[in-house]
Amino acid sequence: MILFIILFALLTLIVWIVKAAGWRFALKRFGGALLVLVIVTFGVSVLLRFASADEEVQAALEELDVSPNAQPCVTALGTGANKEAVDACVEDRGLDDGPVQQYLSWVNQIVFEQDLGYAFYKNQEPLSEVIQQRMPRTAWLFLYSQLLALFLAVPLGIWSAYQAGRAGRSKIPAWLLPLGIGALVLVGILGGWKLSSVVFLGIIVPAVVFHLFRGGRDADGATNFLAFALLSIPVFVLGVTLRYVFAIERDIFQLTGYKPWSEGAWEHLSSVWLPALVLGLAATPVYLRLLRADMIQNLQQDFVSVAKAKGMSNTHILLRHVLRPSTVTLITVLGLNIAQLVNGAIVVEFIFDFDGMGSYLLEAFARREFFAVQTVVALVAVLFIFTNTVIDVLYTAVDPRVKADDDR
Amino acid sequence: MSNVADQIASHSADAAVAQEEAAEGPKTKKKSPLVFKLSVVWLVFLVTVTVLGKIFGESLPLLVDPNERNADKIAAGPSWSNLMGNASFGQDILSQVVEGAWISLFVGLSVTFVGIIVGGAMGLVAGYYRGRTDSLVRLIINVTLSIPALLLVIFIVTIRGQELFWVIAALSLLAIPALARIVRASTLQVADREYVKAAEVLGVKKSVILFREVLPNVLPSMLSFAFLTTGIIIVVEGTLSFLGLSVKPPTITWGKIIAEGQIKIDETPHMVIMPSLVIFLTVLSLNFVGDQLLKRYDIREAGIG
Repeated sequence: MILFIILFALLTLIVWIVKAAGWRFALKRFGGALLVLVIVTFGVSVLLRFASADEEVQAALEELDVSPNAQPCVTALGTGANKEAVDACVEDRGLDDGPVQQYLSWVNQIVFEQDLGYAFYKNQEPLSEVIQQRMPRTAWLFLYSQLLALFLAVPLGIWSAYQAGRAGRSKIPAWLLPLGIGALVLVGILGGWKLSSVVFLGIIVPAVVFHLFRGGRDADGATNFLAFALLSIPVFVLGVTLRYVFAIERDIFQLTGYKPWSEGAWEHLSSVWLPALVLGLAATPVYLRLLRADMIQNLQQDFVSVAKAKGMSNTHILLRHVLRPSTVTLITVLGLNIAQLVNGAIVVEFIFDFDGMGSYLLEAFARREFFAVQTVVALVAVLFIFTNTVIDVLYTAVDPRVKADDDR
Repeated sequence: MSNVADQIASHSADAAVAQEEAAEGPKTKKKSPLVFKLSVVWLVFLVTVTVLGKIFGESLPLLVDPNERNADKIAAGPSWSNLMGNASFGQDILSQVVEGAWISLFVGLSVTFVGIIVGGAMGLVAGYYRGRTDSLVRLIINVTLSIPALLLVIFIVTIRGQELFWVIAALSLLAIPALARIVRASTLQVADREYVKAAEVLGVKKSVILFREVLPNVLPSMLSFAFLTTGIIIVVEGTLSFLGLSVKPPTITWGKIIAEGQIKIDETPHMVIMPSLVIFLTVLSLNFVGDQLLKRYDIREAGIG
């Protein structure tokens, strides 16, 4: 039922887009997307043939007296598997067929028989069940993280773009930076890392906040510095650090795993907020910088001067006239990020033992369950390509100027 | 973790804005900011220490064998003899970090090199010759960019085995399309310029124009993107080795030190914090340098005024 509603909504969307953007253009774009889709899925399917065997698997292959094609099966079933099981698996997956044949039967199985296949461990649990069970977890996690990122990035981006064009005020002198780093290192060696991190946070955070509220060019500078710093922290470093601070040193976050909405809103939210925070903080600088750049470009347009001359307030101009045209890139990147949520959540789910799609994939990789992985990778790629195309055509529908910019 | 291409795009958009600001202001040669100099100093320092550590190893002061276990100093904090403290079996973390820097820098630099050469060539040819070549290159870019970055890398590395070569090859698949797209965009802009048109009218061969007129003008922005790409690739390699999917042990990498320290993080927090700090500073420096160079050299209509 839910699937039906989603399908119906998608169909309506596509019909509307096609109508608004024009038949030929939409056909061209969707045709191109279909080509990319076929190439990507075919590539993923062919890549499996290049799986390298370690010595153990090689020995098992010779012992079982099966063709080298059966190698993914032997890896997945374990080297102790008997010949019948391996043969059945080879037959089932069509490993002895040519690459095209194998690809076609795989597509046939997924598209027409609606069977995503299964992974060998966990009693051959069907992949569709795994996705049904784990996808909502990843989806909720990702939803919260993106909301948080937007919540941080949009106001900061607007503020920083607004302040960028204003005159600067007195600055904190630049020579304090090396001096501060030296002092921190000294504190770190003499007093331990805990004291130095407290000193660091106690000085840097107030300095940034001070500059932010003070306004002027420095507010822009402080935001940029913050964005750069966040951009340069790898997600896994951020995740490990925050896990240590909030879940291990103190019991602010319980590492109990995901709890669904049905167990109560409070339980649900308190079981995901820290991973969501990590993912959100990682996405914030990208959104912030994109929004700021677009805002500044749009603030230089003539319509802003006209609005200013008409006596509109700065707030009104910023929020009602400049914000909307500036969100184009931001929404594109946001859409693409959401489309590849499984990819984005891998590291965070690994760190927080979160049983979502990302950690399922990691498990499957570790057990070299290539068939399950192949299907999931293909599904993510399909989702990504689809979203990309829809966003692309949607912009043409909304803003015809994009069509002229076809080259990019 | 967001897409490689997205991150690069955010730098690019930023640089355009900065140049427009610069174009409106008075035309004075701006001094490079202090952060830029500090970043360069850090990068030079890191490379020097890494190379010296690779050549001289334990004969340098403060460095010991990174795998040597020291029973007296199990999980000890930083001290004067072990500046970054000791790991859970008493290994010296400073030596491990210096050892791990080799893999990170080697992978980052070689991936960027491959990306610049292959992706740059693809972008230049596609952006200047247009037509069929362009369609083909765009198809390749679209195909590679439509598989989520980390998934693609993990997929290739698990399938082909955790060798240095395959890690570099897999990461190159991320760098090539991202760089090709950017180089193509700047080539498109340069190809529209008067001097290129003039050379075409004079009857200069297209291949000569490509090397003599287009390439020199695309090169500076290509090089600044090289810094940004190196930073991103170092992060992705760190992520891979944190997940245990990069080069196999006993090779030490930054991600692996952090992953090991994370197991008993309440006993050895310095084992996580010190390598993290080094990664952070390195990536931050690469970002600052790349961004600064981009603001100065990226080719934009607005910047030329």
